[in-house]
Amino acid sequence: MSKLCVIAGALLAFVATLEGQVDQGVLARSQEDNESWLMYGRNYSAWRYSTLDEINTENVAGLVPAWIFQSGVGGKFQTTPLVHDGVMYVTGPSNHAWALDLKTGRELWHYSEPVPDDLPLCCGKPNRGFAILGERLYKVNMQATLVAIDATTGSVIWEVESADYRIGYSNTVAPLIVKDMVVIGIAGAEFGTRDFIDAYDAETGERRWRFWTVPGPGEPGNETWGGDSWKRGGASTWITGSYDPELDLIYWGTGNPGPDLDGSPRPGDNLYSDSMVALDADTGQLRWYFQFTPHDVHDWDSVADPVLIDMEVAGESRKALVQANRNGHLYALDRTSGEFLFARAYTEVNWTDGISPDGRPILIPGHEPTDEGTLTCPGMGGGHNWHATSYSPLTDLYYFNSGDGCQIYHGAPQEFVEGEYYLGSAMENVSGEPREGSIIAVDPATGDTRWKFPLVSPPSSGMLSTGGGLLFAGTMEGYFMALDARTGKPLWRLQTGGPVRAPAITYRFQGRQHVATAAGGSMMVFRLGP
Amino acid sequence: MTARILALASALSVCAAAQQLQSSPFNGDKESIGAGRAAYRLRCSACHGIHAGGGRGPALNRGKFEVGDTDLDIYRVIERGVPGTEMPAYGPRSTEENIWRIVSYLRSFEPSPEEDVLGDAQAGERIFWGKGGCGACHRVDRKGGEFGPDLTRIGRSRSVEHLRESLLDPEEDLPPGYFVVSAVHHDGRTTTGIGVAFDDFSAQLRDSTGKLHSILREEVRSLEREYTSLMPSGYRESLTANEQLDLLAYMKGLRGGGAK
Repeated sequence: MSKLCVIAGALLAFVATLEGQVDQGVLARSQEDNESWLMYGRNYSAWRYSTLDEINTENVAGLVPAWIFQSGVGGKFQTTPLVHDGVMYVTGPSNHAWALDLKTGRELWHYSEPVPDDLPLCCGKPNRGFAILGERLYKVNMQATLVAIDATTGSVIWEVESADYRIGYSNTVAPLIVKDMVVIGIAGAEFGTRDFIDAYDAETGERRWRFWTVPGPGEPGNETWGGDSWKRGGASTWITGSYDPELDLIYWGTGNPGPDLDGSPRPGDNLYSDSMVALDADTGQLRWYFQFTPHDVHDWDSVADPVLIDMEVAGESRKALVQANRNGHLYALDRTSGEFLFARAYTEVNWTDGISPDGRPILIPGHEPTDEGTLTCPGMGGGHNWHATSYSPLTDLYYFNSGDGCQIYHGAPQEFVEGEYYLGSAMENVSGEPREGSIIAVDPATGDTRWKFPLVSPPSSGMLSTGGGLLFAGTMEGYFMALDARTGKPLWRLQTGGPVRAPAITYRFQGRQHVATAAGGSMMVFRLGP
Repeated sequence: MTARILALASALSVCAAAQQLQSSPFNGDKESIGAGRAAYRLRCSACHGIHAGGGRGPALNRGKFEVGDTDLDIYRVIERGVPGTEMPAYGPRSTEENIWRIVSYLRSFEPSPEEDVLGDAQAGERIFWGKGGCGACHRVDRKGGEFGPDLTRIGRSRSVEHLRESLLDPEEDLPPGYFVVSAVHHDGRTTTGIGVAFDDFSAQLRDSTGKLHSILREEVRSLEREYTSLMPSGYRESLTANEQLDLLAYMKGLRGGGAK
């Protein structure tokens, strides 16, 4: 064999290797890649929209299972699976993860790591998904670590600790790849932790930067915390943010201040809790922030997906950021500056007379939690909580779910004990008034509600919209369903046998569109029959 | 104060390693009682009331407890639950220290014993199966109807106040998971019963004859879930005050394994 042939062969092998790899350019074009699902929100704008239209309003009634993977693991499956190069990568509760053969659903490898017995947790042991870069997958573990895994074998390449789980930190977030970094949030506000957003070198696991969502002494914003309350200020970051490559800004929502329901130890606005923060991607420096609920005493995290939409608002072209907030309002911000554009209530709200032109809620007195309890709407879970949302450029509608109804908020002083719940009291349901929910479609440019699909229970799943004019969602009672994205009319449903707590994804494999969702402890994949 | 907590916790772990504690190491400690109240409100208040005054679970603020009055009795109930009742075991979901903090919170109330039930339980049993007609819908020790909740152990899990409320004002606090389903068919017929399951597309219910129905939403004109009680609401008028007391005395004595 000639020297030239050897070099050509080596080059061919190199190109073939590169071909299957996910690099930053591939991620930036993820919206165009219908064979894959490469990140939590499908694209950097967190649209969860696919142009695939083989399955559509005309034929969705013919959807049948292609395969079902039974994990055998209990707990809440809230994952967004990734699909790449014939393989589905699925994370599960309690630090489990799998690679599944896309053709058959057969397990290719299984990763698991024990959850420490002494890990304080507020809300179960879910995980919301992998990130992928090169031939590596990245996921967080419950004990506040970030793991890099070989996508081919499931072997651990490195694992780094982002915080000490023993004092209340934990993690469930799907990482976001930005350039050569893995960006993650953290959970722990219910235990009086001080929270952050981190970026790690994807190659080595070395931390590049940290943004504290509660500023320390001497930093702007620290003056919004009375005394040393900032040390226990919370502001968790447990849902994946979005990224604008052009502006080079990372957008990430933050959670409630601690203690959740008693504001007396933390006088002030409590920045940057319940906020949207825009961070310089290279440095993690704060470019702007917008606080949805200053001095929150109702546990109204603002962690939901920041959805990036270029649209006309009040006659002006805007690079906008839209979020259905847990406090009962849909917000639109200018994502270049954080300027407040508008807010509209989408569910019953009794704590505010609306949002002022500067974006600050106009408070109605008497809704601070008390020892006896105060009735406030929405309840603690929202409004729209964390579940993945979707924007369809086909219908120009933004889809999200909402927990509807009120709760009684009790508040009382509580001494801080490290590693113990730090809520400042509790919630109570209103007797005879069950918590229900809805799936809502709104015009993101105005906040006008176009339709609502009522749910008999609080919502459980995220949203997926498609070029076939469909919206896929699930229910707590186990239905996985397709609605007409324009009208909300149900067109297809299947009783899966377990709560659908995850958002669906879609991809094309072997020339056919598939739709996948976790339900109960299973991963289910559908396509048109036969 | 933190140092005191650490000392207590340290003592707790040493003691716990050696033997089961007999009483809470946190009794009288304000900080721990506060933490206990927080844990109580998170785990216990939905059934026992936000101020521990009782609800569908017994009152816990009287210094007198259904399953034993020592600190260790209370600890074990929280840790292991009460079989045959709705009280779950919190041991797997909580730390030893946190359970003791809840015990200390419950110990911090001034004792105020539950009111005595002055009625005659034997007379109440006759009313239950006779004049009151309760047995037509409720089951006790494998006897009676199954339309309403089984009352075989109701005396273990409900306070006298809650039983009285359930008898005289059944709408006030419905048992967990209890609801009524009403379906109106296209021909105008109505099917009503206790809900077994209800979702966005269907309902399953049991009517007053015990028959099960499964109804799809698209099969009927309307399908509604109501959080209301099908229990008759006229016992305030149809039973004398003494008869009400007799019936309460009977129900308070229903603790499983035969009426007392």
